[in-house]
Amino acid sequence: MSESNPSIQKEAPPSSGSSEASDILDLKDDEGWEDAEPDEEETQFISLLDDEVFTDIMSMLNHCKDKHNFDFLQVRQRLGLDFYGSIKLVNYIRTQVHSGHKVTSDVSKEAFEDEKFLKPLLEDDALLFSLDELPDVEQSQDNGKGAERDSGELVSRVSELEEELRMMQTQFDNYRATVKETLDERWNNQDTTEQSSNAKKEETRDDDSHYFSSYSYNDIHETMLKDAIRTDAYRDFIYNNKSLFAGKVVLDVGCGTGILSMFCAKAGASRVIAVDNSAIIDKARENVFANGFSDTITCLRGKIEEVNLPVDKVDIIVSEWMGYCLLYEAMLDSVIWARDRYLRPDGLMVPSHMNMWVAPIADPDYVSDHIAFWRDVYGFDMKAMQAGIHDDAQVLHMPASTVCAEPFPFLQLSLHSTTVKDLVFKRKWEGKLKQDIDALDGFIIWFDSFFMPSREDIVPQDAKAEEWAKTGKRGNAFTTGPNGTATHWKQGVMLIENTKTKPESRKEGEQLSGELEYSVPEDNSRALTVGMTWKFDSEEKENSQKWNMK
Amino acid sequence: MADETMKGMDHSEVHYFNSYNHHGIHEEMLKDEVRTRSYMNAIVQNKHLFKDKIVLDVGCGTAILSMFAVKAGAKHVIGVDMSTIIEKAKEIVEVNGMSDKITLLQGKMEEVELPFPKVDIIISEWMGYFLLYESMLDTVLYARDKYLAPNGLIFPDKATIFMAGIEDGEYKDEKIGFWDNVYGFDYSPLKHTALTEPLVDTVEIKAVVTDPTAVLTLDLYTCTTADLAFSSPFVLDCRRSDFVHALIAWFDIDFTACHKPIRFSTGPHTKYTHWKQTVFYLREVLTVEQGEQIRGVLENKPNEKNKRDLDVKISYQLQTDDPTRQAQGSCEYKMC
Repeated sequence: MSESNPSIQKEAPPSSGSSEASDILDLKDDEGWEDAEPDEEETQFISLLDDEVFTDIMSMLNHCKDKHNFDFLQVRQRLGLDFYGSIKLVNYIRTQVHSGHKVTSDVSKEAFEDEKFLKPLLEDDALLFSLDELPDVEQSQDNGKGAERDSGELVSRVSELEEELRMMQTQFDNYRATVKETLDERWNNQDTTEQSSNAKKEETRDDDSHYFSSYSYNDIHETMLKDAIRTDAYRDFIYNNKSLFAGKVVLDVGCGTGILSMFCAKAGASRVIAVDNSAIIDKARENVFANGFSDTITCLRGKIEEVNLPVDKVDIIVSEWMGYCLLYEAMLDSVIWARDRYLRPDGLMVPSHMNMWVAPIADPDYVSDHIAFWRDVYGFDMKAMQAGIHDDAQVLHMPASTVCAEPFPFLQLSLHSTTVKDLVFKRKWEGKLKQDIDALDGFIIWFDSFFMPSREDIVPQDAKAEEWAKTGKRGNAFTTGPNGTATHWKQGVMLIENTKTKPESRKEGEQLSGELEYSVPEDNSRALTVGMTWKFDSEEKENSQKWNMK
Repeated sequence: MADETMKGMDHSEVHYFNSYNHHGIHEEMLKDEVRTRSYMNAIVQNKHLFKDKIVLDVGCGTAILSMFAVKAGAKHVIGVDMSTIIEKAKEIVEVNGMSDKITLLQGKMEEVELPFPKVDIIISEWMGYFLLYESMLDTVLYARDKYLAPNGLIFPDKATIFMAGIEDGEYKDEKIGFWDNVYGFDYSPLKHTALTEPLVDTVEIKAVVTDPTAVLTLDLYTCTTADLAFSSPFVLDCRRSDFVHALIAWFDIDFTACHKPIRFSTGPHTKYTHWKQTVFYLREVLTVEQGEQIRGVLENKPNEKNKRDLDVKISYQLQTDDPTRQAQGSCEYKMC
């Protein structure tokens, strides 16, 4: 049978066997090949005003001066351009020249005020990388001429300079924060190396470094950004409520790539502080710069509890902190900490409410594919592998058809008032079977997220996000439940250990109830333990089981 | 116990071993029929080779290969694995009544003490994505040099990496172009990172534009860890006029010691395996005509900081007489 022997199915690739050797030999014989590798690249400066290319920046600028009567250094001096101003000027000139317009020495600063000129027109424009090699702008140039100006002009010049100074100060603050952060990081690293050298003496537990390093790769951010249910909900709330954000100071806790910060900046926030303890912050900073928000958004690396924010209070905290089963990874603790420390008394939390749901499930297909499977693996009994399946919560998107009773809303967290104490809890729940089932296979847990525009808005504890928009309510909402489009959170699935005793079949209409408990295991503060008890009315004894998420 | 052995390893290494404690990966590997059936056939159909032999299973996991070897008549099998899965393996071996035939040891190959000074056969499923990523080949080679008796056998004993060029405009746009505009923002800083991360994914055979070519063949009897850092020239013959957005790599595995040699492939032309294929996107798009060649060099070496990561470099040049389509370049990738 071909299936039992994949080697027969396989068509040998044409170049396998003896021909592969000759391929390699051919290549070695090809003397010209060596040259195919590009030589070390020389930096190339493309002229600002035509197509000529130079190998150093000064000959390029001299060429512009001699041939086109455009003295870049003089123009920069006259306009008193800082680093970003110079970048804008370069990109403005390139844009003009590219579209066939001329640029003369009397160009005014207003012409390239737009932030869009921060974006390079040329890919890898060597000029932009070498701007800091140019001689410094002398600040005192206006002194002599000042007397000739009328006072109005002077006043506007003063306010212009003040504004420039303010901008420079902001940039300098950002820079200083970055430097401090880098130094802190280095010192911390030193601390840890010292620690590890005498690690035997004092073992400090580290629940965090894996947590933060797992967010330093692209993949996870791509998954989150492409989760349109999630990202759209934040975008829609922020863009539909621009008046809430206009002129406000916003804190983004766990900013990742900076997307929420940029939404807020675009919606008119006067200042956004974006904090993340993962290496992704470097990409966030680049993204912020590439999109011209460097003056509005400050990116800081560190734990929110440890970084020094450049402000004392903020008007709004925006954060995408939700984990599997809502509370896995325990990021909400940090958001609550940030709220208590930084949010003004009348400030707004975005999102504002979470409704948590539990529902019993019956899914014979899943059970046979993933649990019964171990009974016979290539003729061997591997039931030993079943054990762990029931110890850990799984993260899966379950079809709505597996939900065998009405979902029960077991808890609401109102982000304006929730405390860390509220995150470990025991809640009663109940349900009634809506169909006959062969066995109760487990439970699923999910959350609905609500974004309300005011602190005073109330969300009923049994409000369903999927019905929220349809009923014309204020704010935004999304669900991560089985009735909605799958999100990257999917649902938390707790499978019941049914392998030891044969489970009973149940009839439509049977009632069941129990308690649901969230706790944090002692050995890992970022993990989560979910405990359930349940009992059908017809049963005498209560069942109970615990699942870990780690 | 496991935590004890992992002290002193750096974080990524701990994560590597821990990730194998989840059952998902073992379920995926066992359910990979091409993989598991090939091993089963190679072992169980060659009772004449296994009868009364001492066998070493390097990285034994759930001990499925060890149990195949017992079924094939082995006198004794030693299974070694770093991961805590070994505890499950012991239970499995016990319920299948093979405890007296299989000795399972948890630990690094370099550190465990085997009950036999030499073994007649080494069996191992050591292959990672792109053959070498997170692979255990270095451990297998260590075991070979230390324990394999003269004229001993290795299952499998040959591995070959192949490459080909593919048309993949739509998906490249989705994966790489995505970063050009994320909700109206320019995310190009992440685009650069995306281009340096090879993608492990299934490629449809109809996307393949060039003939495949072998770039590396490893003979497990003779190769050394030094061979795992290599630089191999390749030539890809364009089979049709099309665009080439990426080069892909996959591998074939041979059990040549079998009475009837057994081979399986992880290429796009055959049945799905959990290794899928590895996709290396090129920064530019090559426009190729039938009959033209893409020539290049594939370089691979373990990362200096984290030896489980791979640094891959591909340089390429399209051989064409048409000056408007001439293209050459070199891209660096990191598998981590």
